[in-house]
Amino acid sequence: MVRTREDQKKVFQELLIPELPALFRTALRMTRNREDAEDLVQEAVTKAFAAFERFEEGTNFRAWIFKILTNTFINNYYRLRDRQKAPSLEEMEEETSFQPSFEGVTPEEVLLNTLTREDILRAIESLPLEFRAVVVLTLIEGFSYKETAEILDIPIGTVMSRLHRGRKLLQKLLWEYSTRKTPLEKENEKGWTAKTL
Amino acid sequence: MDCKDLVEKLYFYLDGEILTEEERKAIEEHLELCRKCCERYEFERLLWEMVRSNGRNDSIPEALISRIESVIAQF
Repeated sequence: MVRTREDQKKVFQELLIPELPALFRTALRMTRNREDAEDLVQEAVTKAFAAFERFEEGTNFRAWIFKILTNTFINNYYRLRDRQKAPSLEEMEEETSFQPSFEGVTPEEVLLNTLTREDILRAIESLPLEFRAVVVLTLIEGFSYKETAEILDIPIGTVMSRLHRGRKLLQKLLWEYSTRKTPLEKENEKGWTAKTL
Repeated sequence: MDCKDLVEKLYFYLDGEILTEEERKAIEEHLELCRKCCERYEFERLLWEMVRSNGRNDSIPEALISRIESVIAQF
């Protein structure tokens, strides 16, 4: 279907605007920096409009633009220094043992009652990129395994295994953050995250 | 379905993915009968809901929306 440029801009904007909050959140989790996240979103939008003629109307715009965002991030923002700074997966996956610290309370209850939003975001942003991308797209933004596979251009089996390992790594980090807190910090933070649910 | 099967399929169940209707039903029946698995399920459900809701809690700066709109206007 042939459209004028103005029509094309209008259609593009109508599809894009509802996705901007999720694009920004994802950019923020990827870049771990607000300024870079804003630049990344703008760059992805510019690329998306340039490629919009090739977008097939009626197909999944959300997955299409997220694919552009993640590719732009990997090509332009995921610099060598980030790769060098990342801890090795082996280091991160080392087993940790968790001991309950309150009598009569399970470690799971301790964890759920002491986690803060900062803990959760710090844990997500500490994940190696290949796990972080899958965790953010599926667990936070609600893409299906199939959509995530298309966005990241990887097989669905890889999405499943990265998501499984990503969850395990996240749990491990969250246990660690929880156990490092003093009993007073735990008491002060009790119920904090429950209010945000 | 035994506890080991349930643990292997729990994330798929939570994500609403992959499993057949029969497998989902078998998980639900097992959860009704097994307290240990039920506690595990509740913990995992609450934890990932907490991750999801906190991860979605950033609002986009109004200035960025304006910036994007003016970029589109210039195309």
